[in-house]
Amino acid sequence: MNIQRRARSANRIVVGLGATMLINDSRRISISSGSRILGLLAGYFLVFWASSAGAQDLPAPKFELDIQPILTANGCNAGGCHGKSRGQNGFALSLLGFDDDFDYAAIVQESRGRRVFPADPDFSLLLQKAAGLVPHGGGVRLAVDGEAYQVVKAWIAAGMPRSSAADPVFERLQLVASQQSLAPGQTLAMQVLAEYSDGSTRDVTSTSFFQSSEPTVVSVNEHGIVRAGELPGDATIMARYRGQIATWATVIPRSEPIDPAKFAALPRHNFIDHLVWDKLARLNVLPSELVNDETYLRRVSLDLIGRLPTLEEAREFIDDTRPNKREVFVDRLLARPEYADFWANKWADLLRPNPYRVGIKATQSLDAWLRDVFRQNLPYDVWVRQLLTAQGSTWRNGAVVLFRDRREPEEVATLVSQLFLGTRLECAKCHQHPFEIYGQTDFYSLAAYFARVGYKGTGLSTPISGSEEMILVRENGRVAHPITREALDPRPLWKLPSELESSTPAETSQTPLNPFPHDPREDLADWMAAPDNDGFAEAAANRIWGELFGRGIVDPVDDIRATNPPSNPDLLQALGVEFRRVGYDQKALLKTIVLSAVYQLSSLPNSTNNQDHRNFSRHYRRLSRAEVIADALADVTGVEDHWPGMAKGARAMQMWTFRADSELLDVFGRPDPNQDPPCERLPEATMTQALHLMNTQTIQAKISNDSGLPARLTAQNLEPTALLETLYLTVYNRRPSETETARLLPLLVGENTTRRKTLEDLLWAMINTPEFIYEN
Amino acid sequence: MKTDASQSLFHRRTLNGEYFASNISSVARASRRHALQLGLAGLAGGSFLNLLAMQQQASAARLPDEPTPLKRQATSCILIWMDGGPTHFETFDPKPEAPIEIRGEFHSIPTKIPGVHFSEHMTKLANMADKLAVIRSVCHNQGNHGAGNHYMMTGMPPRIPVGCGSYVSFHPSLGSVVAHEYPAPFGLPSYFSLPSMSRSGGPNFLGAKYAPFVVGADPNHNHFRVRDVELPNGVERPQFESRLEVRKLVDTLPRFEDAAVADPVKSMDEYYRQGYDLITTPEAQKAFDIQSEPDHIREAYGRNAFGQRALLARRLVEAGVPFITLYDGGWDHHADIFGALRDRLPSWDQTVATLIDDLQNRGLLETTLVIALGEFGRTPAISTLPGQSKPGRDHWANAMSILMAGGGTPGGQVVGATDKQGYAAIDRVLSPEHYVSTVYRKLGIDPNRIYYTPNGRPTHLVSDGTPISELL
Repeated sequence: MNIQRRARSANRIVVGLGATMLINDSRRISISSGSRILGLLAGYFLVFWASSAGAQDLPAPKFELDIQPILTANGCNAGGCHGKSRGQNGFALSLLGFDDDFDYAAIVQESRGRRVFPADPDFSLLLQKAAGLVPHGGGVRLAVDGEAYQVVKAWIAAGMPRSSAADPVFERLQLVASQQSLAPGQTLAMQVLAEYSDGSTRDVTSTSFFQSSEPTVVSVNEHGIVRAGELPGDATIMARYRGQIATWATVIPRSEPIDPAKFAALPRHNFIDHLVWDKLARLNVLPSELVNDETYLRRVSLDLIGRLPTLEEAREFIDDTRPNKREVFVDRLLARPEYADFWANKWADLLRPNPYRVGIKATQSLDAWLRDVFRQNLPYDVWVRQLLTAQGSTWRNGAVVLFRDRREPEEVATLVSQLFLGTRLECAKCHQHPFEIYGQTDFYSLAAYFARVGYKGTGLSTPISGSEEMILVRENGRVAHPITREALDPRPLWKLPSELESSTPAETSQTPLNPFPHDPREDLADWMAAPDNDGFAEAAANRIWGELFGRGIVDPVDDIRATNPPSNPDLLQALGVEFRRVGYDQKALLKTIVLSAVYQLSSLPNSTNNQDHRNFSRHYRRLSRAEVIADALADVTGVEDHWPGMAKGARAMQMWTFRADSELLDVFGRPDPNQDPPCERLPEATMTQALHLMNTQTIQAKISNDSGLPARLTAQNLEPTALLETLYLTVYNRRPSETETARLLPLLVGENTTRRKTLEDLLWAMINTPEFIYEN
Repeated sequence: MKTDASQSLFHRRTLNGEYFASNISSVARASRRHALQLGLAGLAGGSFLNLLAMQQQASAARLPDEPTPLKRQATSCILIWMDGGPTHFETFDPKPEAPIEIRGEFHSIPTKIPGVHFSEHMTKLANMADKLAVIRSVCHNQGNHGAGNHYMMTGMPPRIPVGCGSYVSFHPSLGSVVAHEYPAPFGLPSYFSLPSMSRSGGPNFLGAKYAPFVVGADPNHNHFRVRDVELPNGVERPQFESRLEVRKLVDTLPRFEDAAVADPVKSMDEYYRQGYDLITTPEAQKAFDIQSEPDHIREAYGRNAFGQRALLARRLVEAGVPFITLYDGGWDHHADIFGALRDRLPSWDQTVATLIDDLQNRGLLETTLVIALGEFGRTPAISTLPGQSKPGRDHWANAMSILMAGGGTPGGQVVGATDKQGYAAIDRVLSPEHYVSTVYRKLGIDPNRIYYTPNGRPTHLVSDGTPISELL
């Protein structure tokens, strides 16, 4: 409590033009590095702000420099108050003060000017309300004798000045801490420094917002005091002030150090292992052991093609004695036709529209296009370009269906940025995102790439929408800023390194809008695939990594931002570089990852990595996808499904719609067909899954089917040990251990008449174990 | 002034968990030293994965100085969750004297409470208003669905800005806390949600065991059955039991008992245990047997999905289930509010009135708390959004109405008031914390109680545990 109180009242700032002295009575006194000698300051102000000093001693506070931070720090312009889009009780401010002109007008000009009263500032409605002197829905925000009240009062008395061109402009934010790592339980005061165009610096700690990426590892309070929890880990602290963000990354290593020899002895198959072990060494965490062949076989099959190995494959792989058999097997998997269906199924979650909205034929056409992309192993940048620049018939070119489904540039822009740039922009559509750097101009400028998408033919006519539509590039079409109404030229979300060198940081490059028939979407695709566009490659690599490990290096994989930092930035960068090096060949990148030692780690934790959930020091178990479980059930029982709307023998992974009736797929979390893509699947276990596996008629019918595995095995009249081996290799892709054999053999030595039932019970039991439905 | 400030600081600190409270017993702290790092603030579907596996760890140790358990007025609660944010104007807080652009197309009708009016379609509820309490003055500052759902469903505002489309969980929901406190008999889950889980209706750090059991099927269907709770055809009980024995023999995947590992398999183990109980208990099975209800009862509830779910909820209450959420979506009337409500409100009114009547006729209303609310109210000024032809009302967290009946709630009263145009609560202004605390108190749960998260962080159940005294 004391620390906080001190911090709040502590900051006393001395601002001079050309020199800054910062007096902070709880922490330190500093003079900014570039400051000149005080003697040179003739003609400049030297200002003391202190509650003891009378307001008349101050130079007039300026709106941008002084008032906006107060409004933000006191929650006046927060989303729940005057900052929401329609304001509160007729008084609207921009969310967290991102729009100075708007806010100035709201305070000084609107409501017939009664919010401020320079003749007697205390009678200004702004102050009366804020101090609770007249009824205020938001309660008392400023104490009359407090510093903030006095500053606002001085500002009104001075005639509400705004910053002029001569005033310093806030340019950069810095988050300063005296150390880089923390011990468990340690607290540390952060300092936020705002740098101005004149080289001066202000301590703005008391008017900044703070957030931690991992509050359980390191928490931060509103005064910028961080506190390490009891657990090792890493976290990033973010401070925001006047629309800018500064971050500080920290680690809390495990307290017991690990012998470097142990790290030196770890296997290093490729760059991935180096980078992951480096990070683990910083945390004093050792990775788990490598898995055995059986576990690897099952894991890599499920991860690359979403299908269990067959009995024969399992036997062959386990008995293979070649030292490079894992690599050989990976190559075989990547050449399998199931590969295309599996990866298309993943992308279908993100792109597949509701057939009732766009039409069945269009939905099928998109599905066919997606499968073709992965069948041909088209380079990632190539197929993304195909998708983003698609033209033609919704019946012939599946890629155009994206534009049939998302008909406004804004709708395409949110999808494109989330899927291919790893950036969620929904917030920026309406306002400056309070915890992000992108605002409305960024959003609508991105949308402007899609302004010239034109339509011909029959549009949507739900619930059938059966007709054909042509997607084309039209002659004109602009996207306007929703507030200024200014037509925006297309502009990508970020600048490439090559552009950064050649222009000033304040202005960002507009893509020149070439006249028709040029398609501006081509410019976006060019920018994405540019050889130095790290963000594009990293977003893709992160998504692929996330599919293999159950969590991204940035997680969620489509939410890359300063406040959700990667757990291993070097690894993310290296994967991006590698993806580009192999020409965006997804199979090549997958192969590199699954042959790394990191991918081959056991899920069994050791005493140092049991608390790790984001640094890949062990494999994280997860429930298989709905379609994987459905197909696995068909495979191990030997009874195929008959999905509605599909040819007989089709697998769940091949379905073109989420609408086909299937309780199993619903129970195990396939996307809700009524939701708009992209759909996140909820990976959590539920009791309904347990109940379904135990009791559903469809699984019972498969188990007891006359052509199912138990019936066939009974007919083959195998020895009990051979029976067990067959069952185990089929269902678990491993042979039973000696203990298991000893335990189970007594069940199988009885009369042949009951054997089928025994086998059915065994198969039921195996299907109902986590070894079957979890990826281990 | 000084006291107020320090008080609120204290609340904020403990609420956000930025500091460990100084009075945790050292025992409690030490026992959790090995507990794990856990993303408490994970958005659903993200880092939340591991969290749900943690039910065994979620512990709710009582502080030594905690008061003895409260009197439990209600043993069950039926929460009718009107997702989307129901309008207060067209339900329980009409403003007949406001200008047309505010009062809307519906007129108001008198109720059994002198001087109190409901909107015109609430005829049956108006007629039984002597059994009801309406709270008109709960308000908050979370104007979008994701955040509003979280606030009203858990009593805790979301910790970070949350968008309309988000499903978030930072804190256990009412239903999950009740499930944590009170088991249901016969292997029945303690917390049902029909036909789907409401947003933020999950258990958060309490763990997957306290997640709602969702019955998705429509009980208005002739062949309604709660799926997968009965053995499949061709499998009798002895075979089922012997299958379970075999399962024990083949289930050799190691479990990671160390809580810090957050082995997701352990939550599935828990579900198998729970599922077994449910399958094997006849009393549990009977609760689902809505077909055994006489026709006139089924008709009275309304032969529609919502009506029959309300009836199913009553059967679950009879079976001893302590918390049932009736998820009732589609109250987000940005457009065509009057057309939509003309269609919807009469049958909604009938179902809710019948539920309350039926509970009373069976002597269950005294111990069953019925609540109907959504995440917020709706804007006073009617407006037509771009692209819409018919007017609607938008999100409005400054005012809302909450209906309560039973569970010892004194009927025939209105708590608080909004101004004459329905803009804001002005009399007896209350917060979601007050509302949630009231529900907890009625159910015999101390809202001031401190729960420990799996990593040992103390969390107040409600940051302000003051109940609404008029309702107790």
